[in-house]
Amino acid sequence: MSLRSQLEDILKDLKSTGDIEASAIVSRDGLLIAADISANVNAEAFAAMSATMLGAAETAMTELGKGIPDRVVVESSNGKIVATGAGEKALLVVMTSPKANLGLILLQIGKASRRVEELLG
Amino acid sequence: MKVVTGIPVLDDLIDEIPNGKTLTYWINPEVEGDVFAMQTIYTNVEEGLKCAYTTITISPESILAEFEEFGWNVKDFENFEIVDLYSEYVGYPSKYKYSANPLKIDEVCGLLKNVLEEFDVIYIPISSIIDVCGDESISCIESIFKLVKEKGKVLITSFVSWPYPEKIKKIVGDLSNAIVKIGGIHHRVILGYYYGLVKVDWKNVKSKSILFKLVRPGGVRAYIPKILVTGPYNAGKSTFVHAVSNVALSVDRLGTTVALDHGHLEYKGFSIDLFGTPGQERFDPILRMLGKDALGVILVVDSTKPETFPRAKQMLESVTHFGLPYVVAANKQDLSNALSPEEIRKKMYLPEDVPIIPISASKGEGIFKVIDALLDILVGSWKEGENEFEIST
Ligand SMILES: Nc1nc2c(ncn2[C@@H]2O[C@H](COP(=O)(O)OP(=O)(O)OP(=O)(O)O)[C@@H](O)[C@H]2O)c(=O)[nH]1
Ligand SMILES: [Mg+2]
Repeated sequence: MSLRSQLEDILKDLKSTGDIEASAIVSRDGLLIAADISANVNAEAFAAMSATMLGAAETAMTELGKGIPDRVVVESSNGKIVATGAGEKALLVVMTSPKANLGLILLQIGKASRRVEELLG
Repeated sequence: MKVVTGIPVLDDLIDEIPNGKTLTYWINPEVEGDVFAMQTIYTNVEEGLKCAYTTITISPESILAEFEEFGWNVKDFENFEIVDLYSEYVGYPSKYKYSANPLKIDEVCGLLKNVLEEFDVIYIPISSIIDVCGDESISCIESIFKLVKEKGKVLITSFVSWPYPEKIKKIVGDLSNAIVKIGGIHHRVILGYYYGLVKVDWKNVKSKSILFKLVRPGGVRAYIPKILVTGPYNAGKSTFVHAVSNVALSVDRLGTTVALDHGHLEYKGFSIDLFGTPGQERFDPILRMLGKDALGVILVVDSTKPETFPRAKQMLESVTHFGLPYVVAANKQDLSNALSPEEIRKKMYLPEDVPIIPISASKGEGIFKVIDALLDILVGSWKEGENEFEIST
């Protein structure tokens, strides 16, 4: 199985948790590696801004001497975005529906990001 | 009695205006500088000192309205008085306790001396007095400066630097114990204002310039200018920001900036915040965000990569559409295939008057010339004026 389809499988499994509208694996410098995103979303911009968000949050947190954050959660009444590191080279970002149960989703995202890390190092 | 200026940063620099001293606000005609004296007077009124504010070319009512606009209700204080040289000048009887006809300079001089006896802090708009009463008034002004010293009072003056005879400028400059210069930052239009301490004879102070905004209510508010550092991918923006800054950080991942660089720099009396942008196109939304409120732009290009120049120009266009001043840093001059500034100017079709500074950000060569060039555009008039007075150090 190719690396790409393995990564896509991870995203597919994640989706089966429910309430996940889109997800992507993105290189730390903001390039799309794999995505499960509907065609009407600008996946490249979503990927780049996810890297910006996580990168800026990590720097903000470490500057305060609080270490690297586990994730960034952005909430709006229309949905949530969760971005989390997946090893040194990649990150995982997920968009949920507004009513999503964050606790359950964070658990699944944690598992998925570890699988990505194993694959990408 | 402790008299302060009430102006941000200035009081930190000089602590106070000692008794017997005169502080002059030296105002470029393009700037609305009256607010400085008003802020100083109001601050001391609030502290309970007896303060008098002299007006000659503006009606007392307008002055009080202006105080009000800034949120300074001087009218409600018994320790505040207007010295009205306006009403009789325009032919009305004055409603104020202290008034004189400015066309009779002896009368004015006598009045001001009386006021000086009674008050702790007085404000006199020197250039307006010269405008109305002519050059002869300068000897009266001289005698008032002397009296301030004798009586241990504090005099605040303003001098709008129209092209008065050098002799007059010199007398006012020499007699003032402290001078705060107020001017504008230009680039086709006025982008902002600054003030700076250019003389103070009672304390060793480094000269310092502060950018400010006027807020109503509120008065003079200092702010730190923001300079945007942009340019194509891999041009050396992050390297540049780190090289010139006292402290800096970058949000870089896998060797490229994904969010921004931020650096803070204390240079020639200015506090400057540098914001470096990402270079890759996918981050362009950030570029526009970071460009907001910037006062100037440093465009960094890799001098060995002419193929990136169109992108450089496009980035410049997207951040300078409000006519922000910019300079070009021709980076990587340490490499043998680097194009010269003039070759770059030709290839980029840049106007003759845009500074293109050859630098090597990684070696730290030429980097401060870039800051100098930008400051020169922004506050050129400031630097010209620097020699006008001795700055005691
Ligand atoms: N030879 C040479 N290399 C330089 C110079 N300045 C920067 N570099 C190198 O150029 C590369 C890119 O530098 P950065 O400062 O990251 O460039 P940047 O413009 O911030 O790049 P992005 O943020 O990815 O757009 C690094 O490998 C630097 O070491 C220079 O003056 N000379
Ligand atoms: Mg960079």
